[in-house]
Amino acid sequence: MDLTIAIIVTVVGASTPILIAALGELVVERAGVLNLGVEGMMLIGAVVGFIVQFHTGQPLLALLAAAVAGVLSSLIFGFLTLSLSANQTATGLALTIFGTGFSALIGANYSARPVPLMDSVLPETIADHPIARVLLGYSLPVYFAFFMVFAVWFFLKKTRSGLILRAVGENDHSAHSIGYSVLGVRYLAIMFGGAMAGIAGACFPLLLTPQWAEGMTAGRGWIAVALVVFASWRPMRLLFGAYLFGLVMTMEVYIKAGGGLFSAIPAELWAALPYLATIVVLVLISLKRDASTNAPACLGRPFMPGN
Amino acid sequence: MMQFRLEKRAEPSKFMLYATPIAAVALTMLVGVILFSAIGYNGFAAVGEIFLTPLTNPYKWQELGVKAAPLIIIGVGLSIAYRANVWNIGAEGQYIVGALAATWVALATHGQGGFWILPLMAVAGAIAGMAYAAIPAFLKTKLNVNEILTSLMLTYASVQLIFFLIRGPWKDPMGIGFPQSRRFDVAARLPNLTVENFGFLGDGALILKGLVERVHYGVPLAIFIALVVWFIMTRTVFGYRMRVVGAAPHAARYGGFSQNKTIWMAMLVSGGLAGLAGMLEVAGPFQRMVPGFATNYGFTAIIVAFLGRLNPLGVIFAGFVLAITFVGGQIAQTTMGLPDETTGIFQALMMFLLLAGDILIKYRIRRVQPDARVGAA
Amino acid sequence: MTLSRRTFIKVGGAALSLPLLGSTAFGQEKLKIGFIYVGSINDNGYNYAHNQGRIFIQEQLGEQVETMFVENVAEGPDCERVLRELAQQGCKLIFATSFGFGDSVIKVAEEFPDIAFEHATGYMSGPNVGLYNARFHEGRAICGIIAGHMSQTGKAGYIGSFPIPEVVMGINSFTLAARKINPEFTLTPVYISTWNDPAKEADAARAMIDQGMDIIAQHTDGPAALQVAAERGIIGGFGQGADMSAFAPDTQLTAIIDNWGPHYLASAKAVLDGSWAPGNTWEGLKEEVVTMTPYHSKVPEAAVKDAEAMRLGQIDGSVAIFTGPIKDHTGVERVAAGVTMTDAELLSMDWYVEGVIPPA
Repeated sequence: MDLTIAIIVTVVGASTPILIAALGELVVERAGVLNLGVEGMMLIGAVVGFIVQFHTGQPLLALLAAAVAGVLSSLIFGFLTLSLSANQTATGLALTIFGTGFSALIGANYSARPVPLMDSVLPETIADHPIARVLLGYSLPVYFAFFMVFAVWFFLKKTRSGLILRAVGENDHSAHSIGYSVLGVRYLAIMFGGAMAGIAGACFPLLLTPQWAEGMTAGRGWIAVALVVFASWRPMRLLFGAYLFGLVMTMEVYIKAGGGLFSAIPAELWAALPYLATIVVLVLISLKRDASTNAPACLGRPFMPGN
Repeated sequence: MMQFRLEKRAEPSKFMLYATPIAAVALTMLVGVILFSAIGYNGFAAVGEIFLTPLTNPYKWQELGVKAAPLIIIGVGLSIAYRANVWNIGAEGQYIVGALAATWVALATHGQGGFWILPLMAVAGAIAGMAYAAIPAFLKTKLNVNEILTSLMLTYASVQLIFFLIRGPWKDPMGIGFPQSRRFDVAARLPNLTVENFGFLGDGALILKGLVERVHYGVPLAIFIALVVWFIMTRTVFGYRMRVVGAAPHAARYGGFSQNKTIWMAMLVSGGLAGLAGMLEVAGPFQRMVPGFATNYGFTAIIVAFLGRLNPLGVIFAGFVLAITFVGGQIAQTTMGLPDETTGIFQALMMFLLLAGDILIKYRIRRVQPDARVGAA
Repeated sequence: MTLSRRTFIKVGGAALSLPLLGSTAFGQEKLKIGFIYVGSINDNGYNYAHNQGRIFIQEQLGEQVETMFVENVAEGPDCERVLRELAQQGCKLIFATSFGFGDSVIKVAEEFPDIAFEHATGYMSGPNVGLYNARFHEGRAICGIIAGHMSQTGKAGYIGSFPIPEVVMGINSFTLAARKINPEFTLTPVYISTWNDPAKEADAARAMIDQGMDIIAQHTDGPAALQVAAERGIIGGFGQGADMSAFAPDTQLTAIIDNWGPHYLASAKAVLDGSWAPGNTWEGLKEEVVTMTPYHSKVPEAAVKDAEAMRLGQIDGSVAIFTGPIKDHTGVERVAAGVTMTDAELLSMDWYVEGVIPPA
């Protein structure tokens, strides 16, 4: 029982940054834009979040600063792909290379320094009971992630703005002809994605391991991108997918530390598993092939008004 | 107040097509001067070290060639795929698998010798790269699964495959337990050039002494491949098809070109070339499989393909430009203590500027009076 | 970091005169020493420690030497190129600080016979290639003694990157020492297949603590595991490579410090006075290439006493941790009573001693 609780708590921690980043990317892709720069924006968010936390000790300020840093870096992508209709794949990759180098550069003097972790939302005494620990024992980003799953779902499904955003992603030209600003919507979506990636990055020093290390997101930005497809562009499935990924990543270390039957699985196979699983899921959803599982029709296609 | 707007050109500008990459490199240097000055270095000296020192020292040219060769080979393959609108971004994985297949041949023939070993390794590398690229191709054509994601995911899996093989079945018996393969036999090592290779220059070949001996056969091969592909793409039906499918998929379909066939061709060619590059790298500079074999050439080659304007000749140029930033970046570390991270920032900057310049190919910038601004974006 | 006048002259000169041999020294007699690192100098661990060694000789020898380094150098052709670059910059002594640089060092050393090369943790030497290494396992044995004393569950976790001999040796040394205190002691290694993924290290530490391990050691770069140990309030952990007490002031029981400075200084002096010859040094506590930080105040007196005995014994040579009888994890005796394993056997160690619960 105690072990189960402990595993759940670890899974929640491991899943949260992936979920937050993937939610941002989901909105971006629903608007018809593919931003492969998530990993780079996360690293920028991580280093900025760390630096602010280090100097101020104010985790909320750190999260905010990370979000702003994420937005600013996403605007590089937005300007190039929207205003200048540059290739989205290439721009996203360049953003990841940029974020990796830039975060390492500004974080160079912060590597040997610890910061306090973010406190849990409720006082520890309340979270003493195991059940309460599982439900109430987390710090803010965990609840933020849950809230955003609902918020993004509600926005896309129930609001007019969400409808417009989806229309822009499904058919940019007709959205444009009805009078919606395709580029405006996409800019906002990209900025939202940047903010979420920044916050997701800041979760690493604030939630998981209170330090700054170069490249500390270690490829999870790419998992977030894959997850969006895994979830077939739906927020609720994203929640499921992120936790499934978190579970696989966490079970690896628990099984290895605990011994037993599954510990015979080679470390390399464990490490490759999330990626292979994504491919399998991609295949499975495409086999289902109902209309709702398909990608936004305009995904990755540049749009130039007036053409 | 003056305003600007973009106006579509009737024809894409050839001038801009070739001018923008050069402008991007020049602008990157300029921004670099500002950037390095801002963080407390002598900006001019830093940019000079990165961009000029590798060029002004003839001894560095061969280092540039060695660094550029895999980038060029992979970049050429990717440029074919991207022209056809097939987004293989998993070249790194295909490069790794190609090298692994070549390693397998080298280890299996250990102690045998024979002129046929190197060609067999090359074939194995190319086939393995193709096979690995065939997975995304199959999933794309049969199930319409996004090839960007599948090819990328397979890359991460391939890195783990290296670890698995060299930790277990391929571990060097003489390597004091360190996870790496044994060193290849001489027959499985890609030789370096010698001055004698340039005998056709007569006595003139002597001037090359000291300037070619570190260049393995993969380097001239890379340039040869780029030229061959350039010829195919511009002068043959196959090349025409690849370009048409990418530029106008609908027209291509009406013209009777199967899109699926094109996807297969694009993936196989780009995967095969990446696999070949992997073989050349493991048989040339490495001569054994090591845990650090994967050094992101497959990703850097994406920049190379774009910087080279998806044109094989341009890719040669772009491969050398990227090689310069790597080589020069490390020179700047030794001479100025410039942080290593700046190389990545520099490459990203160059890419950003290049992509920003793309717009000038199809559009021109017009100055307009505010009142005349009708129907603008 | 200030830009020296030298660099500017060099760049100007390079542009004008196409110097065929890289930069030529402008009439200076300083000994130039080059370092190449496989990772970042900010990794808080292995590469950081080597760079501290570089800074140490620069401080000690001052005007006599000029040091330079290149970080994040990949194995293979990149390493080869950087070694040549350092040679052409005029370095007369070059330290290649990672195992994987071996092939390149041998190759480049042949091209530059008058330059002294030293390769860390490798095994291939040459007429101008020396080898050096540190007996980190001596420090591991001290940690093991403390763990044996302090662990209440008798179970420790050990986070490793890859099962290379150096890591395996550390695990075995730790376990042998701990079982001298507590014969029931067990140690579970978990390999995470990366040197740099702090979040995964942290999760591995959580998994160990959740399954009853109350001492965590690690052989990865960085303090993530120690931070988790502090967060969960377990008995403790150990710093690796550098003093990590800033990250976990109440949890780091002691830390093993990689102290390359003395070796680097000795080599630099040898090159300066012309006495350098390729050696094969494997130094440890005695030579202070491996040192320990002070024990935490919560380490009990008896543990301190035994740990000191282990430390001093290894320094004066009266104690060698890898002395038989040693059984492997399946119970088969590998080293007979009274026999001490040779260095060569240690350097290629690929089996676990009794008490280690081996990974797949």
